[in-house]
Amino acid sequence: MSSDSLVKFTNVSFAYEDGMNILENINLEIEKGEFACIVGPNGGGKTTLLKLMLGLLKPTSGTVEVLGGRPVDRRAHIGYVPQFSRFDASFPVSVLDVVLMGCLQRRFFWGRYSPDQLAMAQQSLADVGLKDQALSGFAELSGGQKQRALIARALMSKPELLLLDEPTASVDVHGTEQFYRMFSEMNERFSIMMVSHDIGFVSTRVKSVICVRKNLQIHPVTELTGEALQKMYGLDVHMIRHDHRCTEKGHVCPHS
Amino acid sequence: MSAFLKDLVELPFLQNAVLAGILCSIASGIVGTYVVLRRITYIAAAISHCILGGLGAARYFAVVYELPWLRPIYGAIITALAAALTIGIISLKAKEREDTVISALWAVGMAVGVLFIFKTPGYNEDLMSYLFGNILMVSREDLLLIGILDIIVIILTLVFYNQTMAVCFDEEFARTRGMAVEFYYLLLLCLTAMTVVLTVSVVGIIMVIALLSLPVAIASRFFDRVWKIMAASIGLGVFFTLAGLVISYTPNLPSGAVTIVLAGLTYLATLFMSTMKKPISKNAEQQ
Repeated sequence: MSSDSLVKFTNVSFAYEDGMNILENINLEIEKGEFACIVGPNGGGKTTLLKLMLGLLKPTSGTVEVLGGRPVDRRAHIGYVPQFSRFDASFPVSVLDVVLMGCLQRRFFWGRYSPDQLAMAQQSLADVGLKDQALSGFAELSGGQKQRALIARALMSKPELLLLDEPTASVDVHGTEQFYRMFSEMNERFSIMMVSHDIGFVSTRVKSVICVRKNLQIHPVTELTGEALQKMYGLDVHMIRHDHRCTEKGHVCPHS
Repeated sequence: MSAFLKDLVELPFLQNAVLAGILCSIASGIVGTYVVLRRITYIAAAISHCILGGLGAARYFAVVYELPWLRPIYGAIITALAAALTIGIISLKAKEREDTVISALWAVGMAVGVLFIFKTPGYNEDLMSYLFGNILMVSREDLLLIGILDIIVIILTLVFYNQTMAVCFDEEFARTRGMAVEFYYLLLLCLTAMTVVLTVSVVGIIMVIALLSLPVAIASRFFDRVWKIMAASIGLGVFFTLAGLVISYTPNLPSGAVTIVLAGLTYLATLFMSTMKKPISKNAEQQ
């Protein structure tokens, strides 16, 4: 496969143990440098798609390749940002402690974090605009700040691909715009893929939108019309597929 | 108090009790913090109740087959570790119905213990001391074992501090980093098992969970870093066990029960105080 490939799904299906097919025959190839947003109705398989890329789930059939290899082998280069709302809100750690957790890997090391790691953690915090909160308690931060701290944690692995799960879920409109500005800047350094339920706002800065509802459609941002949305959320779109994509180079159709 | 101090100098069993209280508080302060943060108090309680099976079996075989080296605490250690690993593997493999399996182990462990103790010939009065603890019965040999387990718990916590913390905070993220999440979870359960065995000798099977969680619950109201909570919990644990011992000594009350009542009252008091104080401290922060 080409070295420019960021994510490649080949005939991927996925079902949970209860037998319900969440994803059906997904084919998707995304190039490096992308800033893509995965949208779709609840239960449509957005988060499943993300977990397949992280290697947290294995496809029932088909293959998933990320950064030119199996997700499990490449995950050192993937930064993952979960939703902060999953966490114990009063967990007694400092913001810096949380960010430093991003240093941990398969290989075990013990003792204190190194000065290099500390410097890098401070830099990551500066990158997300939390420089002054390093020594605050994680529990004291607002929702948006917690989300930023988790992004800083993901930056610790120097990711080639950043995967975010609903990063703006509980951030107000003004804050959301700031987040997207930050993502746009980061996108100059690495590729970004995020899950969002908030399509209207997403489209202004992301490069492509991937719609998931059991199967998959890729829309160029400009074509995301009301009709497309209605189809995605309202009707059964089993037979509809657009392999149409919008990148900096303009519209391309990779599979046709 | 003065009678206690006078006897403390003269009576070795009282010295053993004080040492046991201190040693056990160190382990339970550290591991209790993990147990509360990782929300596995229910698992810790199940492990502690399973221990009765091991205690009973070890005593039965020691008496019936005349094996004087087989101390009940050995049975307790083996059962606790076995219960921890069983529960751990079940909760990792099968996400559903985990609580059912834990409850079953909890009850079956106790039932096995009761049967063994019932069938053990001779004097069986100390079933009560297993259930409710008797710190005054801790022997030199027990103390040595408690010390060794203590050292193991402290070393493992120091070595794996960053990793266990990350796994407690966000298990899924730890997994995406390639960390051996399952290993750390089982390690945590084994640490819990060993700590429960230590604590059983002080407050007994039924009240272990209070000594593991109450000092941590109190400390979490005042500190916002894991290591500070651990340190404060150790201090509180030492205070509660020793105060329980001193208060119960002269009126001849069961010390384990006094210890737990003290811890419970202190927890209620801090709960009450912090609900009173909260609006004031919030305002102070804003200014």
